[in-house]
Amino acid sequence: MTERLYGLGMRDATLGYGRGGPVIEDLSLTIPSRRFTALLGPNGCGKSTILHGLAGLHTPQCGEVVLDGKSIRALGTKALARRVGLLAQTASAPDGLTVGELVRQGRYPHRPVFGAWSGADEDAVESALRRTSMTGYRDRPVDSLSGGQRQRAWIAMTLAQQSDILLLDEPTTYLDLAHQIDVLGLMRRLVDQEGATVVAVLHDLVQAARYADHLVLIRGGRIVAQGAPISVLTPENVKAVFGVDVVILSDPDSAAPICLPRCNGAATSNPQA
Amino acid sequence: MIRVFLVLLALLAVFFVLALALGDQRLPFSVVLGALLGAGETPGHVQTIVTGLRLPRATLAILVGAALGVAGAICQAVLRNPLAEPGLLGINAGAALAAMMIIVQAGTVPESLLPLATFAGAVTMIAVIFGFAWRGGTTSLRIILIGVGLSAMAGAGASFIATFGEIALVQRAMVWLAGSLQDSRWIKVQTLLIWASPVFLMIWMAARELDLIALGDTVARGRGQQVDLQRVLMMLACAVLAGASVAAAGPIAFVGLAAPHMARALAGRRHVALIPAAALIGALIVLVADLAARRAMPPLQLPVGVVTALLGAPFFGYLLWKKRYD
Repeated sequence: MTERLYGLGMRDATLGYGRGGPVIEDLSLTIPSRRFTALLGPNGCGKSTILHGLAGLHTPQCGEVVLDGKSIRALGTKALARRVGLLAQTASAPDGLTVGELVRQGRYPHRPVFGAWSGADEDAVESALRRTSMTGYRDRPVDSLSGGQRQRAWIAMTLAQQSDILLLDEPTTYLDLAHQIDVLGLMRRLVDQEGATVVAVLHDLVQAARYADHLVLIRGGRIVAQGAPISVLTPENVKAVFGVDVVILSDPDSAAPICLPRCNGAATSNPQA
Repeated sequence: MIRVFLVLLALLAVFFVLALALGDQRLPFSVVLGALLGAGETPGHVQTIVTGLRLPRATLAILVGAALGVAGAICQAVLRNPLAEPGLLGINAGAALAAMMIIVQAGTVPESLLPLATFAGAVTMIAVIFGFAWRGGTTSLRIILIGVGLSAMAGAGASFIATFGEIALVQRAMVWLAGSLQDSRWIKVQTLLIWASPVFLMIWMAARELDLIALGDTVARGRGQQVDLQRVLMMLACAVLAGASVAAAGPIAFVGLAAPHMARALAGRRHVALIPAAALIGALIVLVADLAARRAMPPLQLPVGVVTALLGAPFFGYLLWKKRYD
């Protein structure tokens, strides 16, 4: 790797937890700036680990995570959080915490140690609530909301952080179809209108192909294929990653590829085996 | 919100005056006020009762309660566990072991060292727990489990010493272990104030660190918080607050657990309001409990720790019952 890496990426990174051995090994990955990237792969393939690594939550055992050509280790944790925001999977708020109080937490990296709450902080919170249609729920306890509203509250917190790079771990899981479309539409707008870089772990291949610009297919901690949906979502790649036989159709609206499992398709149920 | 604080302050003031007026010798309000202001016509023995005995005791009750309330609020935020309290981190067990060694083996060590030794015991215990729990970082659960384990060991150590100790001395140690404000002196008030007030101020100013860490490690790290560093600093603050209060009055049960819960019900979840509310409620609990402890069976004085549990538990239950549909 001699070329400089702009935006966010990994260089030969090995990441793992304790004694379990590495989850991903020698992985190099470049996240395209100002694009919506979807990470796809079976459960346990290392998608979340990659996301946490990119957010600086795990320090790689070897290799490095790079932001604009420099190792993120050179950045302080707050400075990194101003550039990269992570919405982890299944975060739960303490009982009684209100939406407004939760969203405020997104301002943490912008405030000096003993600094007061500023007008810019308030504006960022208002804007995050508005963009997620949560303004009316500001004083409601998070635990009193429906799953979709709760997820939007957490997304609002991540937006209040105003990082130009957003990493989202399964933002649509447990949401009904309308809320899934809401969340994905919001991600799309952040990329198109505000120039954000979004990386999301998704499970629905159809939605990923429709909303994301760039797909990364992962299996067993390795990248199997990456690129535009139309070039990545081939029956061969899907078979290699998920072990499922599919036929690829074309979306009549957008010409995005649609993966449809074949009847009697799942010949090998466990691709890891 | 302001109303909550005004009511708490008013209640505290009322019980403070009551604590000065009530006792074996009941004093009218005007006499108490006269003694406080140092009016010339106050008889000498009344002056002694008010400013020499009851005033330091009431003041110490307020400070001990406030320190325990804040220490509990820190514990519950940092360990993200509604059952967390300073005792869970071995503060009481560490202090108890130290106290047993000093009191029961009296003669070898001067008893004036008791506060210092118990403070050291409490802080050492937390340090040891952190040492065992550290594995390139810590988790709340590991701290709690190791805390419970080491507390049991320290408790066993204290019981072991008690078994071989002289009966009268062991009994004295047991009274100390229940927590008592009987031996309140100005020097204790000063010491507690010196240790606790800077820590209290720091914690209050850093209240937002507690807000964030209470959301969980992953969320906090994603916002750029140095979670392990904050956890060590906060637990250290908790150890100093609780350790200093144990050194002053022995381990007073229940306040560290209940005061933050009551504060949360009244002042909400944001620590900038929760911390002072927990301090006020903790102060109120200990002040009222000590008044009850002194007046329940005169001339016998119960240990205040016995009363905090007796008074606090029903109120705590009422609070949970009232909020059961929330």
